[in-house]
Amino acid sequence: MRKLAFFIVSVFFIMLVIPQMALAQSQKTYKIGGIFSLTGYLSWLGEYKKKAAELKVGIINKAGGINGVPLELISYDDMSSPEQASKVAQRLISKDNVVAMTGTASVPISGAVASMANRYKIPTIINSGYAVDTSKDPYLFNTSHKTDFAVITAFRYFHKKGITKLALLMPIGPLGELGSSVARKYAKEYSVTIIGEEKFDVKSPDVTTQLAKIRTMNPQAIFSFTTGEPAALIARNMEQLNIKVPFLVSHGNANPGFLKLVANIKTEMLVPSGKVMKPEALLDSDPTKKIIIDFNKSHLEKYKEPANYFSAELADAIDLIAEGLKVVGKADPIKLRDAIENIKNFPAMQGVYNFTAKDHHGTKPDDMILLTIKAGKWELPK
Amino acid sequence: MNDISHFIQFFFSGITTGSIYALIAVSLVIVYKVSQLICFAQGEFFVFGALIMTTLTQKGVPMPLAFALAIFIAVCMGAIIQQALIRPIQGSSVGALIVMTIAISIALRGLALIVWGRESHILQPFTQGEPLHILGASLQLQVLWIFGITVIVLLMIWYFFEKTSLGIAMRACAENALGARLMGINVLKAELFAWAWGAGIGALAGAVVAPLLFMQYTSGVMPMVKGFIAMSIGGLNNIAGSVMAGFLLGLVESYTIGTISSKFSDTIVFILLMVVLIFKPTGLFSKS
Repeated sequence: MRKLAFFIVSVFFIMLVIPQMALAQSQKTYKIGGIFSLTGYLSWLGEYKKKAAELKVGIINKAGGINGVPLELISYDDMSSPEQASKVAQRLISKDNVVAMTGTASVPISGAVASMANRYKIPTIINSGYAVDTSKDPYLFNTSHKTDFAVITAFRYFHKKGITKLALLMPIGPLGELGSSVARKYAKEYSVTIIGEEKFDVKSPDVTTQLAKIRTMNPQAIFSFTTGEPAALIARNMEQLNIKVPFLVSHGNANPGFLKLVANIKTEMLVPSGKVMKPEALLDSDPTKKIIIDFNKSHLEKYKEPANYFSAELADAIDLIAEGLKVVGKADPIKLRDAIENIKNFPAMQGVYNFTAKDHHGTKPDDMILLTIKAGKWELPK
Repeated sequence: MNDISHFIQFFFSGITTGSIYALIAVSLVIVYKVSQLICFAQGEFFVFGALIMTTLTQKGVPMPLAFALAIFIAVCMGAIIQQALIRPIQGSSVGALIVMTIAISIALRGLALIVWGRESHILQPFTQGEPLHILGASLQLQVLWIFGITVIVLLMIWYFFEKTSLGIAMRACAENALGARLMGINVLKAELFAWAWGAGIGALAGAVVAPLLFMQYTSGVMPMVKGFIAMSIGGLNNIAGSVMAGFLLGLVESYTIGTISSKFSDTIVFILLMVVLIFKPTGLFSKS
């Protein structure tokens, strides 16, 4: 009987202790949660982000991790939906015990994840057009350039070229409202007049009606704050209506997928971008140049394609989390948030980051460049 | 550009979008006419038609052959799906059948994701060349193709349902399945035929419309919804009616965008649908 009791106690002991030991073993990594749109309408960019995050984690781990502790990326699909993003964020925080999160591909998805990050105090580096207000979102950082910077970059070019009459063709919804308000905010400073605004449904298969109305205003350029297929459709319809003015779109289009979409369209495109898309045009003194070229090389080796804007956002997010972890030295999310906020003069792919208590974007307008497309390649506009 | 060219451009824009809705609506009506079932997977047959044709032309297959092959593959898919998934639950409620078509739709979308990935694919227009310019307005040449093919399809369907014994038998199945069976008509065969050709015409719509769009695995959702609205406005059983309703829908959208605001285009379409459903539930263009 005693033997049996001893046996049962032993079994219980093993059952209780071994998983604990296994857990302790598994805690010898810093867990980072990745929230990517791998299915649904944003899946074309979610894939770029996931690949870059995995590559960067691999590079850091190969170089010895964070003081010997490797990073571990736990990724989930948000199915391009804010509700699903919220669910997977909850799972990452409560089940996977991540120390930080990254990813998200649109303003609503970032918003959903932001509320989880703030509630559970998990530093999260998003990468979308979501403007981080540090008083509301203290745990949120963003490696995507501010919409303001993209507009300023384009308006500087308009100013240089004497383009003063701009028409807006904005998607119905929050993204279009954001684009419109930012364009109006900076128009006067760069002597640009907004001569009219039309709206369109991103699912619409034809926008010639709106363009016909815009044509009567005789604009010198058209601006649509939209990404992917709708942007390409407007460009195609502009060509159809013989509207030969430059067409400015959002910085989310700086990727090879968009280049393919507009390959046969003659409309002159203007795409604000991070420096990642044209590193060879950068001065040697630019601190981001070598970082971009090195990462690009690894990306090309692993995935047979160069890094793009979305890859740079994620590579930087992982880099910034790693930098914060180096300072903190343990998996403490609250201290990690403070450490990331204190990062200064940190050169990465999207620019040189300088976070403050009030600025969780960390980059500046000069960290962006303006691109056009010539013969199927990204070029700087003359 | 003056007011007339403005209005012509709105018209061209309307018939461009309307042609997409019209063709999808036809493929929905064909299945409905015979099996009294709305197939929610039509949007996916649309996508498969477009993407199969795109892939084949990229591999160097001549366009007419690629077009025929895309339709043929979809016809086979429709037939297999009907035999394997619809026929075993044929006796179930309409609700169960509709849920099955939704399940098929999601499964096909998943299959398209695996085969073609997440990116958008581009199909070159059937004829290269400058758009047609009429009084300051312009129309893409592909729209003329869509128009021509829609007319041919309509004539063929009309001939089939009105003049051939199989077509008449299929109509009989829809009107009174038991009666048709008693008359020696093979109802199961008629439904197989309807599914196969419903899928085929869905694919034809996709293949002919693809040069106007940027096609990816989720591109079938919007045309499916609008095609369904066109079908409801035109009369669930009425092929010519749903084609007219498709074009009407496109034109209403375009003129609303052009003369009122883009924000109201969907609202006005749904108001139109509600008005039709309340005052003429059998459809705007039906005789009864």
